[in-house]
Amino acid sequence: MSELKCVGKAVTRKDAIEKVTGSAEFIEDRFLGPLLYAKMKKSTVAHGKIKKLDLSKALKHPGVKTVLTGKDYKNKIGLYLVDRDFMAVDKVRFWGEPVALVVASTEKAAAEAVELIEVDYEELPGVFDPFEALKPEAPLIHEELGSYEVVPIFYPKAGTNVANHFKLRKGDTEKGFAEADIVIEKEYYVPQMQHVPIETHKAAAHWSPDGKLTVWSTAQSPNVVRQLLAKAFEMPMHKIRVISSYIGGGFGCKAGASLEGLVVPVAQKFPGYVVRIVFNREEDMQGTFTRQALYSTLKTGVRKDGRITALEYKMIWDGGAYTEYGVNIVRAAGYSSSGAYDIPNVKTDSYCVYTNNSIGGPVRGFGMCEMQWGIERQIDYIARELNMDPLEVRLINGMKKGSTTASGQVVHDVDYEKCLKTVADQIGWGKKEQPEKGKLRGKGIAGLVKCPAQPSNAASSAIIRINEDGTAHVMIGATEMGQGMLTAISQIASEALNIPIEKIDIKVPDTDFTPYEWQSVGSRITYTCGTSVKRAAEDALGQIYYIAANLLEVPVEDLTFDGKIVYSTKDPEIKATIREVADSCKKCTGEGIAGPIIGKGSFVPKNMTNLDPETGQGNPGMFYCFGATGVEVEVDIETGVIKVLQLATSIDAGKAINPQLCTVQLHGGTIMGLSTALYEDVRFDKGVMLNRNFTDYKIASIDNTPHIESFIIETPETNGPYGARGIGEQPMIGVAPAVANAVCDALGVEFNTFPLTPERVWRALKEKK
Amino acid sequence: MLSYEYIKTGDLQEAFKLLESREHVYPLAGGTDLIVGMRGGKFVPELILDLKDIEEFKVLTEDNKGITIGALVTLNEICQFKPVVDNIPILAEGCHSVGSYMIRNRATIAGNICNASPAADTSAPLYCLDAVVNIIGSGGSRTVPVDEFFNGPGQNALNKGELVQSVTVLKPYPEGKGVYFKASRTGSVDLATVGVAVQSWGDRVKVAVGAVAPTPVRALSVENAVNEYGEKDWSKAAALVNNDISPITDLRGSREYRYHIVEVLVRRGLEQTMGV
Amino acid sequence: MSEKITISFTINGDKETREAAVGQTLLSFIRDELHLTGTKSGCEIGECGACTVLLNGKPVNSCLVLAVELDGKELVTIEALSKNGKLDKLQQTFIDHAAFQCGYCTPGMIISAKALLERKPNPSDEDINEALSGNLCRCGAYQEIRAAIKDAAKK
Repeated sequence: MSELKCVGKAVTRKDAIEKVTGSAEFIEDRFLGPLLYAKMKKSTVAHGKIKKLDLSKALKHPGVKTVLTGKDYKNKIGLYLVDRDFMAVDKVRFWGEPVALVVASTEKAAAEAVELIEVDYEELPGVFDPFEALKPEAPLIHEELGSYEVVPIFYPKAGTNVANHFKLRKGDTEKGFAEADIVIEKEYYVPQMQHVPIETHKAAAHWSPDGKLTVWSTAQSPNVVRQLLAKAFEMPMHKIRVISSYIGGGFGCKAGASLEGLVVPVAQKFPGYVVRIVFNREEDMQGTFTRQALYSTLKTGVRKDGRITALEYKMIWDGGAYTEYGVNIVRAAGYSSSGAYDIPNVKTDSYCVYTNNSIGGPVRGFGMCEMQWGIERQIDYIARELNMDPLEVRLINGMKKGSTTASGQVVHDVDYEKCLKTVADQIGWGKKEQPEKGKLRGKGIAGLVKCPAQPSNAASSAIIRINEDGTAHVMIGATEMGQGMLTAISQIASEALNIPIEKIDIKVPDTDFTPYEWQSVGSRITYTCGTSVKRAAEDALGQIYYIAANLLEVPVEDLTFDGKIVYSTKDPEIKATIREVADSCKKCTGEGIAGPIIGKGSFVPKNMTNLDPETGQGNPGMFYCFGATGVEVEVDIETGVIKVLQLATSIDAGKAINPQLCTVQLHGGTIMGLSTALYEDVRFDKGVMLNRNFTDYKIASIDNTPHIESFIIETPETNGPYGARGIGEQPMIGVAPAVANAVCDALGVEFNTFPLTPERVWRALKEKK
Repeated sequence: MLSYEYIKTGDLQEAFKLLESREHVYPLAGGTDLIVGMRGGKFVPELILDLKDIEEFKVLTEDNKGITIGALVTLNEICQFKPVVDNIPILAEGCHSVGSYMIRNRATIAGNICNASPAADTSAPLYCLDAVVNIIGSGGSRTVPVDEFFNGPGQNALNKGELVQSVTVLKPYPEGKGVYFKASRTGSVDLATVGVAVQSWGDRVKVAVGAVAPTPVRALSVENAVNEYGEKDWSKAAALVNNDISPITDLRGSREYRYHIVEVLVRRGLEQTMGV
Repeated sequence: MSEKITISFTINGDKETREAAVGQTLLSFIRDELHLTGTKSGCEIGECGACTVLLNGKPVNSCLVLAVELDGKELVTIEALSKNGKLDKLQQTFIDHAAFQCGYCTPGMIISAKALLERKPNPSDEDINEALSGNLCRCGAYQEIRAAIKDAAKK
């Protein structure tokens, strides 16, 4: 391949100037026109029957236009398991679930009217722990689970609270345990956390007199929103337009569809108005997706030489009140359940269980942070038991080219060893530093792997329009939520088209104008959309050559394009400018050659398969991205306060399309991981989310974030554009276990859960004494 | 958006009248607690009385009495006021521990104590400094020691129609070192899990602790042991703090952890101020 | 009762007289009345810093100021930092260091940083921590933000 001109360069973000000047439009900045304001009345019980819902006072309140209840919405909604009403119908399943929607001409009137709605509940026994929910006598949260529509790769159990049971059987674990010298069994718990993007969920809807619905949304996927709305409201897709804007952080909470549908019937009722709904911070935390808690048991058989011979992994997920999306996290964690390690015999059961807690759903890592917490802690247990170096145990068992995942998929483009060794070298692995008095120091390492969790037919597409002057518009359906997609995709287009990036325009999506993209989730866009764009560019380039060949009357194979001019390699004087080619080119005779150039490209993965329902064997991964985190900590043994002295992170990006943005992403994911490791967990009291604002739920800030050393490894992904693979979620995965491993190294006490708050560390030390 | 009347006045007498004109009148200085409380429904004012034009409340001076900080002086202004930094740095530390830089550009010391949170970061230093609160109302002025100003969570000593005019730290200033230690979940912008102020005065010491009782409290058991009985083993002295407190469990920490951490911080405070 | 009060103030250098509802926050007034949407709402309780503006030259959380308190004061929002298409040096260094991802916290970050450089032209790490600990960035661009501020200080 000739030298790359744009890919691999730290070009400036496409959205840079807009974002530093405050002119970048986020969705709320686009709610214009005659507005109506929607506000939710929320359930005050976690599980109960709605006995009375009296709207009369609210309806009479000045300024109120209408009040809707769950019964005003005909169908349920859900991405994988259609289990969710837009608002509660007859029954509420979590505290804070919307039971009515007030729409008024001012926000104030709407808020006041919400207080005037009278609701009586007959409280039902709540289930707040998945183990309770699994008991045969547990109250059923979804009595009609058996009748729900479900994508047939998920296995809900009617008459129980099990929303999905994913089974995986690789090799023969009995044989594997028999071969082992030692067997280690541990329990782990990962609490719920919240994404807390600084921008909350927001949406608006408008109905035009000709029956066209326009929706503005913070959603990570306008196409999925359109698909789900079309189904729920029984509308053809061409009558629904979903507009995206810059998204103020997603991290998974804006995947799928959430609040958009709430305002659709209102818009229909009041054509011409823009009906807006904006979640405040509390609503955002309590009413949208929460990372599912995971209770797990991990049993490993290991030989004395450190080789893991068998793994039994049982995962019980607190799916919350609705698991329309969560069922797939449980599946993804299941088919990836050996983490970054090649383990010949694996038996996994992963259960998604309904409870009356907040709705479980996708968060950066999509189950991998939770599942690999156990794996990466377990490796350290194994090392300690065998008196081996934990790095060595990772290297012995770590996946290599040709290794198989838990689902039996062969991985090809892997250099996990390099990821591990890079961070180990950086933190001075094996060298023990002298702590200050009253403090202890330790080092920890953790590896990670993740493939995009997506259906095997999750597709992508792109259109490139070449303007008359040779500049170009790249049109895609992916969303920009900070990950730098607009820039990376433009770089791919620039590279493939040989047109300078300054001459390429790219915008956030609008389903009426931009082509299909399944979802901007799963660290998949650089790969899927990038491939589509590369194909669209190649298509456009082909048209450029075709036109030039006809114009110049030389064979296509003799032509070359330098970004400005197409010329003959045989005689450089035979040439045409891109303007001449692109502007509805005609021959000197006046005969037309071709109209405007429009390149198109689409993509669907060809290397994925369904999984066997009994064994979970198959190819669920479009690509696998590996990485590692290394940490050195100093712990104050009196207060339990952890200070992170060193933090190193490595990711195998295949090819960093933009190394600068890749690094920022790497830092960002690492900080989010560190924040969960040290501070974050959602607290519930019988389903009531207690810490639902930034006073009570703390995230990392500039003054408690250490310096990060980051390393981009580049083992090319055979089918990725320019060898690239996605890295958005991955940096978060290894941080919590690496921190815990380091703290354990320092203190000699083990942690099977996090966050490692000062109090938790203090308690562990106290118990040790 | 909330419903209430808003009046700003620069005239104290008018302010007193307005204070008594409705049942729920809320004075506005920095507003950082008030506006949060209104949004959450904790405060439902009929009238917001903006005090920011009242000149008498803007004073920030040092005179032969001591340092007087008006009710409208922001925490950042206090942190930068040289007489505070030079003579009672423990108060600057306490002020600096409140919220973020932006919050401290609005928040006032009067607001911090009127809100009467047991975790108020300025309170423990003020307790240690024996500060007094100057209260003014239509009936005249009165001065109360800061430890009599806090009555319980959210409860202060103001009567209807009264305002805090200023806080005074009286001379003589402590001759010795003062420290304010704050245990929090993140070490960043956060409410105190426990706040500990220790101020030495020659060979004597004053210790006050926050977030471990319904109000900030002086750790008199500790002070007694050191000042009256000459206890030099700071661990032993610090352990006595448990007699002075009654912590609760909340989102920031358990009762048990608070008992532990307050003792550690008091001991460290003694070490740093009284010498190891 | 949505009583309105007439207020006079300076916004980004221009004198203005407007009506403000007494129950309105400065944040809402800036976005909904002045239509300056660069200032963002993130928590409405002064914890995230996305709504940071300069009030009489000092950074404050506009969600914790009443609109009526603006009377007689000078307000600066992110929109004022670039003039005639020329970026403020902080805006340029934020771009150079890619000191943001989603960009939602960025206006508040830059305003806080701007105020910091005004009072401390050569800020230390500690100064940056103090000035920006109230500006949350969930994308985690802190390391780049720190570098961008230090770089701007040199220019």
